[in-house]
Amino acid sequence: MRLGKGMRIAILLGGGFGSALLGLAVLVLVVPRVVAHYSWSVERLFRQAPAQPIAFSHKTHAGDAQIPCLFCHRGADKEEAATIPSLEQCMFCHRFIIGTTEAQQAEIRKVIEAFNNREAVQWVRVFRLPDHVRFVHEAHIRAGFTCAECHGAVETMTEMRQFHRSLKMGDCVGCHRQNNAPTDCAICHY
Amino acid sequence: MVVDMDRCTGCQACVVACQAENNIPINTETIFLQRRVIEWIWVERYWEGEYPHVRARYIPLLCQQCDNAPCEPVCPVYATYHNDQGLNVQVYNRCVGTRYCANNCPYHARFFNFWQPVWPETLRHHLNPDVTVRWRGIMEKCTFCIQRIRRVQREAARDGRTLQDGDITPACAQACPTDALVFGDILDPQSRVAQLAKNKRAYKVIEDLGTGPNVIYLKKVDPYAPAADHDHKH
Ligand code: SF4
Repeated sequence: MRLGKGMRIAILLGGGFGSALLGLAVLVLVVPRVVAHYSWSVERLFRQAPAQPIAFSHKTHAGDAQIPCLFCHRGADKEEAATIPSLEQCMFCHRFIIGTTEAQQAEIRKVIEAFNNREAVQWVRVFRLPDHVRFVHEAHIRAGFTCAECHGAVETMTEMRQFHRSLKMGDCVGCHRQNNAPTDCAICHY
Repeated sequence: MVVDMDRCTGCQACVVACQAENNIPINTETIFLQRRVIEWIWVERYWEGEYPHVRARYIPLLCQQCDNAPCEPVCPVYATYHNDQGLNVQVYNRCVGTRYCANNCPYHARFFNFWQPVWPETLRHHLNPDVTVRWRGIMEKCTFCIQRIRRVQREAARDGRTLQDGDITPACAQACPTDALVFGDILDPQSRVAQLAKNKRAYKVIEDLGTGPNVIYLKKVDPYAPAADHDHKH
């Protein structure tokens, strides 16, 4: 069948219009959904080791000084969240320890100042699970897992990094299967 | 759960408590007029009798955690299922929002998030961190405050004790001023619910459908019922 010139132009135009429409639909409907859905993973990619208001070194504390994790993260064996220590707790030691190098002293001064001014330090969260997952630190510590199993060799990190585990569901489920832990969805998702 | 209708005054405390505990979006007037209100427990009002002997009746309704739940087999992605404690679980991140379950639930106990929930700025910090904030396009419903169940189970496991009757209290039962809502393990013959379920007033809502609801209602007994009440005719 031979098509007239006008018809061919119409089909070409129509096709162009159609794919433009499709493109627009993908842009408007699909892209925001995908971005919203993966915002957590994207954030995870780009915020491996976010800058903190006070340059806290886990290497100094957990590595060199050998302070046990649970001394500061006191929620870890009692609560769902491991919790970040309060400034009062920092001051247990930093009342007396003011640092040896210039850089250390500057950072410790920030802690003392914040404590004296009754300000909260706006720490940036490093480890984060999506909202629909409940991770209970206490249950895992009680089951005999060490912090390093999920958080890696924290005592060697000057900057806290989340890198050790994939944190995908398969990672959790695989570990639960290996250890005969429940795999009922409602254990973690509610 | 047992609901004693003789104690229920229709005060809606359970509804508010549930709303606060489970991060349920605020039902604004617009949403109400769209009939897209979300309430995991709600108090249904109905009228009984003929004029002039009309009486207002209240019945708190919630997901009945059916043994033979009609909502479950229709879910194409298994987002809703029964767990080994007899709870009808809803996995929010699995749900794709087909809404078949809502169509199949005879109690209208499932709610679809037509909109992304928003809270006024003043309420931002009132959200319960133990419960997922459900996003737009998924189904949600009452799960007997599973976050509380989990917490109590975990604490019991930590302290090495077994769960006692009355350890777990969902928000609605806790808030009920007249103690009309009682939660417990029906399989434990010593539990309060098991005792109450033996009451001769006990019935289940539209049980004849064969859904096997696990919420037991205790019939309202009205001492002032008019003599013309059809129950007393014969
Ligand atoms: S009451 Fe409705 S939502 Fe609840 S288990 Fe029964 S069918 Fe499912």
